[in-house]
Amino acid sequence: MARASAEQQQPAAAHGTTLIVLVGLGIAFLLFMAFLNVVKSGNLLNEANLLYAALIFYAGAGALYLGFGVTGTQSYIKFASFATWAGLIANTGAVAHRWYEAGHPPFASLYEMLLSFVWTLAALTLIAEKRYGVKVIGTVTMPVAIVGVVLMQLLHSEVRPLVPALQSTWLHIHVTLAMLAYAACALSFALAMMFLIQDKMKTETFLAATSIFTVGIYAAILMRFERWGGFSVVAWDPENKTEVFISRGVRLFVTIPDLGWLMLLVFAAVAAPLVLYILAAVRKNDGFLSVANRAVFISILLQTLALVFFILRARDGRYPSLDAEGLYPTSLAASPFILSALVGGIFANLLYLLLLWRRPDLERLLPDADALDRITYKTICIAFPLLTLMIAAGAYWANRAWGSYWNWDPKETWAAITWLVYAGYLHMRITRGWRGRRAAYFAILGFAVVMFTFFGVTYLLPGLHAYA
Amino acid sequence: MPTSLRSAMRKIWQTLSSIKTGVVLIILVVIFSAAGTVILQRPITEPDDMQRAYSPAMLRFLDATGLTDVFHARWFVALMIFVSFSIIAASVERFPNAWRFFARPYKSPDEGFRRVLPVQAQIPISDEEQGLDAAERGLRKMGFKAERIVRTDSFSLFTEKHRISEMAVYIVHASLLLIFAGGIIDALYGWRGYVQLTPGSASNQIELRSGVTKALPFSLRCDATGEDTYSDGTPKRYWSKLAVLDNGREVVRKEIVVNDPLVYHGVRFYQSSYGRTGKIDQLIVNAARADGKGQPQEITLRPDQAIDLDANTKVQIAEFIPDYVVQDGHVYARSNDIVNPAVHLMVTSAKTNQVVNYWLPEMPGIDENASSPYAFDPKDLKTGFFTGLQVSHEPGQWAVWAGVILMAVGLTFVFYVVHVRLWVVPVQDARGGFALWVGGSANRNRDAFEQTFKRIVEEMQKELKPEIAADEKKTAASVTR
Repeated sequence: MARASAEQQQPAAAHGTTLIVLVGLGIAFLLFMAFLNVVKSGNLLNEANLLYAALIFYAGAGALYLGFGVTGTQSYIKFASFATWAGLIANTGAVAHRWYEAGHPPFASLYEMLLSFVWTLAALTLIAEKRYGVKVIGTVTMPVAIVGVVLMQLLHSEVRPLVPALQSTWLHIHVTLAMLAYAACALSFALAMMFLIQDKMKTETFLAATSIFTVGIYAAILMRFERWGGFSVVAWDPENKTEVFISRGVRLFVTIPDLGWLMLLVFAAVAAPLVLYILAAVRKNDGFLSVANRAVFISILLQTLALVFFILRARDGRYPSLDAEGLYPTSLAASPFILSALVGGIFANLLYLLLLWRRPDLERLLPDADALDRITYKTICIAFPLLTLMIAAGAYWANRAWGSYWNWDPKETWAAITWLVYAGYLHMRITRGWRGRRAAYFAILGFAVVMFTFFGVTYLLPGLHAYA
Repeated sequence: MPTSLRSAMRKIWQTLSSIKTGVVLIILVVIFSAAGTVILQRPITEPDDMQRAYSPAMLRFLDATGLTDVFHARWFVALMIFVSFSIIAASVERFPNAWRFFARPYKSPDEGFRRVLPVQAQIPISDEEQGLDAAERGLRKMGFKAERIVRTDSFSLFTEKHRISEMAVYIVHASLLLIFAGGIIDALYGWRGYVQLTPGSASNQIELRSGVTKALPFSLRCDATGEDTYSDGTPKRYWSKLAVLDNGREVVRKEIVVNDPLVYHGVRFYQSSYGRTGKIDQLIVNAARADGKGQPQEITLRPDQAIDLDANTKVQIAEFIPDYVVQDGHVYARSNDIVNPAVHLMVTSAKTNQVVNYWLPEMPGIDENASSPYAFDPKDLKTGFFTGLQVSHEPGQWAVWAGVILMAVGLTFVFYVVHVRLWVVPVQDARGGFALWVGGSANRNRDAFEQTFKRIVEEMQKELKPEIAADEKKTAASVTR
């Protein structure tokens, strides 16, 4: 037995070095090419280049984490950590440069918010690794960071001066607190997920949860489905680099033909694992589960297809609109939420596959369930005061800018709901002694509400909070 | 009868003060607040949009149940009041115990307490007095000042830190109630409205959210207003120079911008909007005689003001159209935005008593420019601007901010300030020798406290080293759980 496993480890170690060397060479090559290109054009250490360098490093880290996912080699984690450090340093440079150029901290546009968010993600990954010893958290955060930087490349990045309502110190305070609070909530979500893994929650349950999540994403996306197979997106004005508005607050939508059918097909593909899971539970036949896992793999391929087609169609071409004459272009920048949703779905499913293929390794690397339960609680003990202060700062700023501290604006209301949910978590834990599974579910619910407050309110419910 | 009434009241009180009730109420608040963000709400949404979004039957249902203005509906307010009562009841129910615990520290633990305390240790000593001295020194090294509790024949030690932490929860809940109180005061006695001023005008009439017009005891005059832009045209700064007139006297002057309001007697004026009135302010033209005689003169025309061009001829502005379009031989206004401005002047000749309609720009078929004694060449057009001010009176906001600060303090205590207690009692160990029983308790972060406790016991042992004989040094203190 021992010899067999030693033999098994030998080739694995060899593969291990190969991948690390390959990733290292890849990083070096990309950096060198970028350097050459930059030397031609001049300015070396500007924001765009630093961001590109950060992307390269995060991509390297992501590749190594993924490599761990596929082969289970432990040393990948160490090098992935190095790559994350390098990426963080480059990212800090980009943030600093942006701050200097713009004259204000990077909080004023979607581009800047993403920049700050990606930086926070990398910083928190390293803190979690060092302070809490949770070394695999990069598998979750690095993909998100890569997505963030890629999205940033697609958004327009001009330094825009702040409109009058945003010219206030309280803006900086409010947004900083929001970023920190949401990051802490994200961390607590990741820790709660890890707790469920260590608490021996069945892999099938994760399958069902991932499938429900992806189905939800595609259901939300399919709200833009037109009956004859088209897919509606917001039109884009390339000269002014802004969305096209018919009238105040009302956007112009164009319909991309046939993309709707593809989205519908992918919706069916992501619903298949869920259906198979239900069949397995009802018929008490585990055979369905292995089919379901294969269906997840196929659905990832189809989701990638949908993403690629969406990007291709959105970047070129002019499309008709139901509300106005003529053809209008669109852009990826006009649909940041659809893009995030598509990418988010792919990564959620990839993470499920990581769990499916590497569960024993994960269980070995992660702290035990009890420790994770306590760390989740401690993270929420940090998130909750931050949420409180964020709401208070926002109220004070609103009072100075718009004349009242509370308007029952959708964003305000949902921030209050988020606060109540986390208050509920703390109450249940402190006074009712809720621990373990129930506490983990509560933490996950809290983060779902955070995501809705951050994305759903802006995307689905219009209001005063139109800035980010 | 009285007993059953009393027991019924007891039951009601218990339900009201239970955590379950609190959780149910929180869930209800969440559900209805969420509904208020998803269902279109009345004052903000135009009636047309409401009718477009919902069928007539659905709209009637939503209006009848108050779901189209959730946050001001009576039942929602009642729900919030009920939440407040629940918080008060829960706090009142638990406060006496907490206060007893807070006000009367448990300094001398009896045997039963000592037996079951989870965090404790026993240190063997040779002499009681010296042992307790050493323990005191050990505690001082770790930052605790011990108090000597005198017993019948000896004394024990007691020390604690941050007893206030036991009250932290009540501070947080009290702060929440303070915030609610502020909100209620504002809902009852506060108001919000809007006033629009043009430079030079003054007003004390505020149009409230509810549609009613409120007259203030003082008036506000706008002296100037403007907009600064960045080089690419996006707005940088809206400003208004305002003055407050109380009893005819000017009492306050301030230039306000967005984020920096004017406050007078509890009423706040916020720079909210800025725009063109669409009405003409000044038109500067060069007037030249049609027959070519004389010099052209530059005149400034203002609305409702006739200017004498010479002894016989007067000119004044009859109409100003910000965005003109000609249709069927008439000039119409397409919109209120200054896109294609047109001015209609009336030139009156006293001699002939004729009025000539002069149009700038020319309107073929409509204007009578050819028969005008003067020709006009426009030089500059100044349109009027208004400043839109949000006005609010929020007497309850001080309670809200006080509540927020108190909550920050309370949360700091809840999460980061731990009530730690330590006791040292001389006892007889199992073999009949002397020993020190050391016990500790913390109300939060117990795992971190256990580490601290271990270090405290080690410090005490270090202090005891000179007193313990060499071989007794090896006897380990056991940390039991």
